[in-house]
Amino acid sequence: MARLFVQLKLRLLRNGLRSSTQAQVAFIISTIFAALVAVGTFAGLAALRGNSASVDLTTVVFTVFAFGWLILPLLAFGLDGTLDPATLALYPLRTRPLAVGLLAASATGAWPLANLVGLLGVTIGLARGGFGLFIALLAVLLEVLFCITLARFVTAGLAGLLRSRRGKDFAAFLIIPIFAVYEVFTQVVPKLTAEGKLTPASFAGADVWMRWLPPGLAAHAIQDASNGHPGTALLQLTLLAAVIVVLGRLWIGSLSRGLVTVDTTTQSSTVRGAALPFGRYGLRGTVAARSWIYQRREPSSIIYWCITAVVMIAVSISTILTPRYLSGLLGSAALGAALIAVLHSDSIGMSGPSFGLEAMALSGRRALRAYFSGQNIALGMIAVPLLTLISFGLAAVAKHPVDGFLGMAVELAGIGAALALGSVFTVTAPYPVEKRVGSPTPRPVDGYMGYRLAGTFGSLFGTVVAVIPVVLAAVFTRSDPAVVRMPVLVLCAAGYGIALAWIGVRVAGGVAEQKLPDLYQIAVRSEL
Amino acid sequence: MGEPAIAVRGLRKSFGPKEAVAGIDLEIAAGSFAGLVGPNGAGKTTSLSMMTGLLRPDGGQVLINRLDVWADPPAAKAVIGVVPAEARLFERLSGEELLEYAGRLRGLPVGEARSRAAQLLGVLDLTADAKRLVADYSTGMRKKATLGCALIHNPSVLFLDEPLEGVDPVSADVIRRLLTRFVGSGSTVLFSSHVMELVEQVCDHVSIINKGRIVATGTTEQVRGGKTLQQAFIDLVGSRADGGEGLSWLGSSSS
Repeated sequence: MARLFVQLKLRLLRNGLRSSTQAQVAFIISTIFAALVAVGTFAGLAALRGNSASVDLTTVVFTVFAFGWLILPLLAFGLDGTLDPATLALYPLRTRPLAVGLLAASATGAWPLANLVGLLGVTIGLARGGFGLFIALLAVLLEVLFCITLARFVTAGLAGLLRSRRGKDFAAFLIIPIFAVYEVFTQVVPKLTAEGKLTPASFAGADVWMRWLPPGLAAHAIQDASNGHPGTALLQLTLLAAVIVVLGRLWIGSLSRGLVTVDTTTQSSTVRGAALPFGRYGLRGTVAARSWIYQRREPSSIIYWCITAVVMIAVSISTILTPRYLSGLLGSAALGAALIAVLHSDSIGMSGPSFGLEAMALSGRRALRAYFSGQNIALGMIAVPLLTLISFGLAAVAKHPVDGFLGMAVELAGIGAALALGSVFTVTAPYPVEKRVGSPTPRPVDGYMGYRLAGTFGSLFGTVVAVIPVVLAAVFTRSDPAVVRMPVLVLCAAGYGIALAWIGVRVAGGVAEQKLPDLYQIAVRSEL
Repeated sequence: MGEPAIAVRGLRKSFGPKEAVAGIDLEIAAGSFAGLVGPNGAGKTTSLSMMTGLLRPDGGQVLINRLDVWADPPAAKAVIGVVPAEARLFERLSGEELLEYAGRLRGLPVGEARSRAAQLLGVLDLTADAKRLVADYSTGMRKKATLGCALIHNPSVLFLDEPLEGVDPVSADVIRRLLTRFVGSGSTVLFSSHVMELVEQVCDHVSIINKGRIVATGTTEQVRGGKTLQQAFIDLVGSRADGGEGLSWLGSSSS
């Protein structure tokens, strides 16, 4: 069974490569990144040789890898196509061989290999002597096995949860705390390291509790084996193996349930209110009403707003209490706005086949402009108060509450630019998306990653460039009295933002008029 | 035959090397209940998508009530309603909100949109579920909601792609009666289906499409030619399998 699943995984990879040039490019880029991670991790772990905090750091690295295995499939890559229990439920497969097969399939590919190779850096950095080396090899194998089993256990558990609509909604929100921790690792940790506040010595003693986690057991087993405590080392690895067995059993149980659990989506709730809000304000109001409802009821919309808030706080957290607080405040406002552009740069693809209802009814430039304008109104109704609140909150933390107006000015211009770019990218570079089992966030259909990258970087870059005049105005007028410059700055920034959004709507309306059938064909390919 | 409600001339569409629709011609009279039947992959959905302005054709012309769909899409779209094969709707709206939204998109005043939505929900037997999210609707309820969205602006021509696929008999009967009433008022329906019995029962005009070409078209009686529609269809399209004669191992008596 293991062989069959490995063959299936390899065949899926091969067929994916044949499907399009973009898929080939994505595979090559992914493989290069995997190789870089392997080499970088190996070198980093090997460089710890002789470092007093080597076991602490190794423990942290092992834990970070386990965390990565836990969240990356949820955040970016979706569930491996060979691992969806639903596709296997029809076959007479016993759960145990099925689990072994799925585990083997999980371990196949560039990233698991990169994981294994990278962690083998401990054979130089931490291991001493023949027995230490032997235990290091064993510990790395068990660590990788633990990572894979943990990831499968969580995704299989989520797959079960995702069978009901309410469960799907609930599971989707799990991504918010996961994303917050991810942001700490990617934003805060590198900044603190660069500022010298986080050094290898900072990790000394960090493993007081972390050493008792499964990755910590693996790291400490290597050190104990190298320091002449073979019994303790073997005991720790035995404990790790036992954790893997328990996790594996839980996974198999979850898998067994997943194969036979019924769909409970019909256990539904009703909504209050009789009609669409602001429906009486023409087509623009009607579209705004529908978008407004979606921003409140669609979990992915709520997640996007939470992610925006988390990122805004995370990027400013290390500077907001320093004399350079203003850069953190303005940077946070600009990035928050840019994220709105990124997260809404494929609104038609994200609408999915339901866009057909709109495509059938909307014709003509005027109607399409009203459509984009309506969407912008709904987004602006959330974006403006949310970003303003965060800007003033950060300014208050920095003990310069009045400077919240500076953040507000940047964010108002940025939101305008973001809405413009979102509208333009959604008609010029739309792509179909799909939600995979185990993943609450949609990802581009194979072959469209280039479109997402274009939308993401175009939106980020475009928004940041668009807010530069406001940032400069904010900085260059700092010597003027706040009571004079703040209202002018905020009003001018708001006018600038509205003008940008208006231009975006006009451009998007014109392009959409020419491309409406093509946009529909993109939307209809989305699987949400 | 009077003025055609739907006139299709030389409609073509290729996807790469595959020719999905190879130049079809079709005329459906106003007030007809017309069926478009064909095997899987024959080009039914592609043809309907092009006729409704949702898929750009490589060539040909589609006229709805003499309005050219591809020369003047807004005018043509205003007089048609579409029920796609897969009822994908705005899942996070309630049934009531969805129909009102569809009506407002079509330019109906607020009061009129709400009133028609309520009436349609009643006729479609969805009043009790009007405040439930569409995400929680069953397949049949979704089909009925989609039909409501397609009818709310009172189109003169209605296109339906596999309207009764996966729908229970009770919901199917509701849909069938509503469509019959719609045609009885002088409007036109063109729907695609695999179910020959249904087409034979309700349609006065049938077109058979195979490999992207119309191989037969006319009144149901003409196309049947004294046989059942199922038999006429198989005779025209041809049986595609040998009935499993080569599978000697298949069946309880085999070892």
